[in-house]
Amino acid sequence: MKDSTDDLQIISKFKEGERLAFEDLILKYQDKIYNLCRHMLGNAHDAEDAAQDTFIKAYQNLNNFKPNASFYTWLYRIAVNTCLDYKKRPFFESIFKHSAETEESFQERASGEPSPEKLYENKLLGVALYKSLARLSPKLRAAIILKEIEGLSYEEVAEVLDVSSGTVKSRISRAREELKRLMKEIREQN
Amino acid sequence: LKPQSFKQQKEAKMRCSKARKLISPYIDGELTESEKREFEAHLRVCKGCWSEIEETHGLHQLFENTEIFSAPFGFHSRVMANVNAKKPGWSPMIPVRVRLLEAVMVLLLIVVGAISGSFLGKGLLPERAGNGLTASLHLDVFNSAPPGTLGGAYLAMTEVKDEK
Repeated sequence: MKDSTDDLQIISKFKEGERLAFEDLILKYQDKIYNLCRHMLGNAHDAEDAAQDTFIKAYQNLNNFKPNASFYTWLYRIAVNTCLDYKKRPFFESIFKHSAETEESFQERASGEPSPEKLYENKLLGVALYKSLARLSPKLRAAIILKEIEGLSYEEVAEVLDVSSGTVKSRISRAREELKRLMKEIREQN
Repeated sequence: LKPQSFKQQKEAKMRCSKARKLISPYIDGELTESEKREFEAHLRVCKGCWSEIEETHGLHQLFENTEIFSAPFGFHSRVMANVNAKKPGWSPMIPVRVRLLEAVMVLLLIVVGAISGSFLGKGLLPERAGNGLTASLHLDVFNSAPPGTLGGAYLAMTEVKDEK
């Protein structure tokens, strides 16, 4: 993501008429954009649609892209806005349908060789986290996903969401508070 | 740990309400050096904030175990196929606007046509012409057995028979 010079070179080729250069941008960012959409929307089908829409919108508007901005934050912004538009769809359907898959994923990713109790605990926490994310307001969800999952800095999150760094700081803080509260609720229900 | 120096004691006087707001940026490494020092001094003396930061840090670590999803196989080919079908600069709003404009124009033509048709029918066409037109469209003008045909001859014979 740091080699923005490469991006600018690709974009320059694209603007000169080499439309196929756009494929390089897709190959470079497709996993990141898909991952963002997957966490924002919670199911594979909508995530693929939203990720595709993101790249199509980027292609259509690349001629208007100004090189003084980072391409990846510009692309992330399109992706977040696309996902926010998708929020009216039945939300987080498959994340619960495929909860077994999610649980396995958490189990596999748990560090070291934990005891069965620890694995079970991780599994419950992981599922509670996904369920809590689903209940979070889209704005808070976008902020926390960009920070925690995409690993962006506050400044970058602010650029993507088109808000001030102070707003990002506040949203991330509120998102964490909400998540802790929701996770407690979910775990008490279980 | 108790604060050692007077400076540390002063820094530890941060209110819990302020400290709670700094937990997230502290975990994310977004505090300035002086904010960080002040916050850490407060943590040394405040069990409540300490347990709060532990909980938030636990959540932060939990995110490290979330799955990283990769784009499905053939994703970029599908995107390229889609973008090739649409030229750059195309905006989904333009066809909708054009279609709306087309619909409005068609509707306008229908309305204008209906009004002018009604006006012409009532005012411009002479009464007789209107009647003649109506008469020509009437089914009575249709002769089922014209003279000189077999049907005509049969009808003529039956009419003569009826008269008798």
